Amino acid sequence: MTATTNMPAVNPGASGSGSGSGAGLPSTTDAPRLPSLSRRSSSAPAARRAKAPMSIGTTLVLLIGALYCLTPVLWVVIASTKDGSELFSTFTFLPSSHLWDNIVELTQYRGGLYWRWMVNTALYAGVGAILSTYVSMLSGYALAKFTFPGKSGVFKVLLMGVLVPGVILAIPQYFMLAQVGMTNTYWAVLLPQIISPYGIYLARIYAAAAVPTEIIESGRTEGASELFILHRLAMPMMLPGLVTVFLFQFVAIWNNFMLPYIMLGDDKLFPITVGLSGLLNQGSTVPALYTLVITGALLSIIPLIALFLVLQRYWRVDLAAGAVKA
Amino acid sequence: MRARLRIGAIATAAAAALIMTGCTATADSGSGSGSSDEKVELTYWAWAPNLDKVVDIWNKANPNIQVTVAKQDGGDPAITKLLTAIKAGSGAPDLIQAEYQKIPTLVSADAIADIAGDGAKDLSSTFPDGVWNSVTLGSDAVYAIPQDTGPMMFFYRDDIFQQLGVSVPTTWDEYADAARKIHTADPTKFLGTFSANDAGWFTGLSQQAGASWWSIDGDAWGVDIDAEPTQKVAEYWGGLVEEGVIDNKPMYTPEWNAGLNDGSQVGWTGAVWGPGVLSGNAADTAGKWKAAPLPNWDASSPSNGNWGGSSTAVTTQSKHAAAAVEFATWLNTDPAAVQALVTETGIYPAATDAAASALTEAPAFFSNQPDFYDVAAEAAQSVGDFTYGPNVNVAFSAYNDEFAKAAESKQASAFLEAVTAMQKITLDDMKASGFTVK
Amino acid sequence: MTATVERSVKQRRASQRPAALSPAKRKAARKRAVVPYMMLLPGIVLFVVFMAAPIVYTLYLSFQKTVVKGLGLGSGARSQVFAGLDNYIASLTDPAFAASVGRVLLYGLILIPTMLVLALLFALLLDSRRTRARGFSRVSIFLPYAVPAVISSLLWGFLYLPGVSPFYWIFDQLGWDVPSMLSPGLVMFAIANIALWGGVGFNMIVMYTSLKAVPSEIYEAATIDGASEVQIALRIKIPIIAPALVMTALFSMIATLQVFAEPMTLRPLTNSLSTTWSPLMFVYRDAFIRDDVYTASATSILIALATFAISFFFLRVVQRRAFGQED
Repeated sequence: MTATTNMPAVNPGASGSGSGSGAGLPSTTDAPRLPSLSRRSSSAPAARRAKAPMSIGTTLVLLIGALYCLTPVLWVVIASTKDGSELFSTFTFLPSSHLWDNIVELTQYRGGLYWRWMVNTALYAGVGAILSTYVSMLSGYALAKFTFPGKSGVFKVLLMGVLVPGVILAIPQYFMLAQVGMTNTYWAVLLPQIISPYGIYLARIYAAAAVPTEIIESGRTEGASELFILHRLAMPMMLPGLVTVFLFQFVAIWNNFMLPYIMLGDDKLFPITVGLSGLLNQGSTVPALYTLVITGALLSIIPLIALFLVLQRYWRVDLAAGAVKA
Repeated sequence: MRARLRIGAIATAAAAALIMTGCTATADSGSGSGSSDEKVELTYWAWAPNLDKVVDIWNKANPNIQVTVAKQDGGDPAITKLLTAIKAGSGAPDLIQAEYQKIPTLVSADAIADIAGDGAKDLSSTFPDGVWNSVTLGSDAVYAIPQDTGPMMFFYRDDIFQQLGVSVPTTWDEYADAARKIHTADPTKFLGTFSANDAGWFTGLSQQAGASWWSIDGDAWGVDIDAEPTQKVAEYWGGLVEEGVIDNKPMYTPEWNAGLNDGSQVGWTGAVWGPGVLSGNAADTAGKWKAAPLPNWDASSPSNGNWGGSSTAVTTQSKHAAAAVEFATWLNTDPAAVQALVTETGIYPAATDAAASALTEAPAFFSNQPDFYDVAAEAAQSVGDFTYGPNVNVAFSAYNDEFAKAAESKQASAFLEAVTAMQKITLDDMKASGFTVK
Repeated sequence: MTATVERSVKQRRASQRPAALSPAKRKAARKRAVVPYMMLLPGIVLFVVFMAAPIVYTLYLSFQKTVVKGLGLGSGARSQVFAGLDNYIASLTDPAFAASVGRVLLYGLILIPTMLVLALLFALLLDSRRTRARGFSRVSIFLPYAVPAVISSLLWGFLYLPGVSPFYWIFDQLGWDVPSMLSPGLVMFAIANIALWGGVGFNMIVMYTSLKAVPSEIYEAATIDGASEVQIALRIKIPIIAPALVMTALFSMIATLQVFAEPMTLRPLTNSLSTTWSPLMFVYRDAFIRDDVYTASATSILIALATFAISFFFLRVVQRRAFGQED
C-alpha cells in the first residue's frame, strides 16, 4: 500500500471536501484547501442543470443499467406474492395475491423466529458497525493527527489486515473463542467484527482531510482535554466520513456469512443470512422452504435500502478514492 | 486436544481479560448421575422439524432433566459444527442427531461417547439388527440410539402412468422400459433423474444392489466402492442417461420442484420420508402420487437400501451422559414419544414395535393410498447391511464431483470411471490419514 | 470493551486537568505523548486478538497434521504431529487446487474489466449534464450492493434455471435453443454476472463521488476550448479520477481471489460446479468436508500470500506506468 504514496494523479477536490459540511466552524480553518469545493457545491450545479439539453442516448444506457439491476429485485417482489405451488407452476413475472399469507406464514414459523433473526441482524450489524466506527475513529484520528514513535509501523501492519479474507479467519477465531466458552453467544459474532482495518484506514484519511490541525491546536491552548477535542471538535467534522465507515462496516457484517455460520449453534442467535440459508438447505429429507426464504429476503432488504436512502447524502467515498495517494 | 490449542489459549488470554466482565460461560459441573434433587440441563442439536414439540412432552414430565433443542440446518452443518467444537475442546451440545453414515466419522474424531454402560446396551432387541449394527459398528460399544430409518421407495404419478398405459415397474429392467415409454410418449417427461448432488441416494441404490462401501477386517479397513454391485448401479443409470430417457440434473433444485409440479418428473426413487418432501415442494399434486417398493434387480429375492435415517448420540463433552441416555432412550423407544415423533416430525421410527403401533394412518399427501405404511414396512424389511467408514464425507464429496462430470458428459462409460475415481480418492485419503487399510 | 475505553477516558481526564491548569508546558507535552497510544489501544488490542492471533494460529496449524492409528476408532486413536511442509506440498501439488486458481484467474479476467468499464461508464453518464433520471438510476444501480451474496445467488439461480426462468420461457416462445447459463461452458459467466450485479453499483458510486469532487471550472474551461463531452470524459475526467480507478481495481481483485458465496450457493443447482471450484471453496472442502483444518490452514496462508503479492505487484505496475506518463 505504501507504493501508492507517490501516485502522481491528484484528486484536487477530495482533500478538503469533508470539511464543508462540518460543524460550521469559523473560516480560520485551513483556508487553502476549501475554496474549490465550496464553489462547486453551491453555485455550479444549479447553473448547470438549467442549461443542458437531454441526451436520449446517455439516459437510455443508464436506464438499461438500472433495469439490469432492478430485474432480480422485481423478481423477488413478484415471487413473494406467490404460494408454494404457484412459484413453480405459473409464469415467473405473473404476480399473485399471497404476499400477506406468506408474511403471516413467515411470522408464524417457529414462533416468530424470522423477526428474531431481523433483530439479531440489526444488533450484529448496527451495534457492531457503531462500535467499529468508534474504534476506527479513535485509531484513525490518532494516526492522522499525532506524531509518535512507531506510527508508520502500526499503520502498515493494520493495513495488511485489509487483505486477509474473513473466511480464513473464522475457523481460528472459533477455536480461540471456544477456549473462553464464548462460542454460540452474541459476543462471538459481535466482537471479532469490531476491528476493521479498512475502517481505520478510511478514518485516518477523513481525519487528515477534514480536521484542520489549527483547530486542535487552539483547543489545546484553551485547555481542552484531548478527548474533548476529539469528541466535540474533530468528530463533528469527520461525521460524513464516519457515516461512510459505518455503512461500509454495516454491509460487511451484514454480508459476512461464514463467521456466524461457524460460531452459532443455536438458531435463535442467527442473523438473517444464516437463517434464510438454513431454510433453503435442510438436507434431503426436508423440503426447502422457498416461499419463506423469498419473502424473508424481500423483507430483509427493505430496512437496508431505507438505511442507505437516509444516509446516502453523507456518503463520502470520494475521500476513500482519493485516499490511495495518502 | 487441549495441548494442541496452547497457542490459541495464550492468544486468547488477552481476549478473555477484555471480555470476561461482560459474559461468563455457564459451566455448572454437576456429576449429573441422576440424583433426584439435582436439576440437569441438556442441549440437543437436531434438525428434524418440530422436534422441540416432542421434547416439550419430556420436559413437562421430567422437571429435573430439562432438554433444550437447538434447531440445526440439517445433518451436514450440524456435524461440521460438532467436529469443530470437539477440536476446540468446548462448545459441543450434550446430544446430537446424527445420521448413521456419520457415526464412524464421529467415533473416529472422539466426538460421541460409548453409552453401552449407561443402559443403552439393553436396547438391542428394540431395533432391527441392521440398524443396531450401524450404531455399534459391530463392536461391544453403543455409540447412539437409533431414531428413524429411510428405506427407499418408488413414488410415481399414478394419473400419468394410467394415461400413458405404463404399469408400475417391479424390476430395474421394467423401470428402464417404463422410462423409455414415458420419454418417447412425451419428450419433456422423465421417469426420474440421476442426481449427482445426492450421494445418500446413490448409496441407497448401491446398498440395494448388495454393495457395502467399507468393511472392517480385524484391525484394518477395507474400501470396496469400485466393486461389482456399485459398478452395476452406475452402469445402469449411466446407460439410461446416455440414452436420454432419464434426466441428468440434480434433485432438490427449483427446476426439479417445477418438474414435480408440472408432471415432467413422473417418478422419484425416494425414501419413506418422501411424502414430506413431495407435499412441501408440490402441494397441489396431492392425491396424484402413489408409492411402491423400489424396483428390484432380482424379483425373486427382493432387497432394498436406506436413504437417510438418523440416531441420537451423546457427545464426549457432555457432563451428564446418564441423564442424556435416559432422555434419548425415552425419545426413541417410549410409545408416546414415538407416536409424537411420527405426528410432529413425520419420521419413520426405527423402534420396531413402537413404530407398528404409531404408523396406522397414511400421510395426508398419500390419503389416496391407505396402505402406504404397509408398503413402507415391506420396504423396510428387505434392507441389506452396509458398513460406513470414517471418511464418508470424502467419499460423498468425491461422488458429487466425479458423478457431476459423468452426468454432464452423458456417457455410461464416464459413470464407471466415476466409481473408480471415488474408490481411489476415498482409499488415498484413508492411507494419507494413517488408517490401517487392507 | 466500552469499559476499557471509559476507564482510559477517566484516567486521561484525571491526568489532563492538572496539566491544563499548570503552566508547565513540558509536563503537558509529556502527557500528550501517551494520548495517541491510548487512542490506538482499543484498535490494536482488537486487531491482535481477532486478526493477528488467528493468523498466527493458522500459521501454526498449517505445520501440523493428525495421524491415525489402526481403525482410528475410539479416543486416543488420533494424535497431532508436526507436519513440516507436508500440508503446503499437498495443496500445491493437488491438481484441484491448481485448477481452482486457474479458474479464478480466468474469472477475474472476465469480471474485473467488465465491472470497471461498466462502473466507469455509468459514473460518467451520471456526471453528464445531459442525462436524465439520474437519481433513479443511481439508486437502482447501487441497490444490489445491499443484497447479501447468499441471497443474490439464490435470486439469480431462479433466473438461470431453464425450468423456472422467465428468460428461457421467452427463448422457448421464440423457438430459440439457448444453452443453460449453468452449463459447464457458461457457468463462469453466470457467477461473474452475479458478482457484477452486486458490485458495479458500489464501484460506480466510488467513481461518481470522485468525479463530483472535481471543480467544474476545469470542465467549463475545456468546453470553451471546444472540447466535446466525450473528449472531456476521456482526456480530463478519467485521468483525474485515476486514484479511484486504482482503488476499485485493487478491491475488485481482492474480492475476485476470495470468490466463495456465489459458487457455493449455485453448486447444488448444477453439475457444472465442483466442490473445489474456487480456492476458498477448496479451503472450505478441506476444513469442513474432509475435516482437515491443517491443509485448509496451509492453503489459507498461500491464498493470503498470493493476495499480498498480487496487490503489491499491481500497485507497482500502476505506479510505474503513471510515472512513465509524467515523464
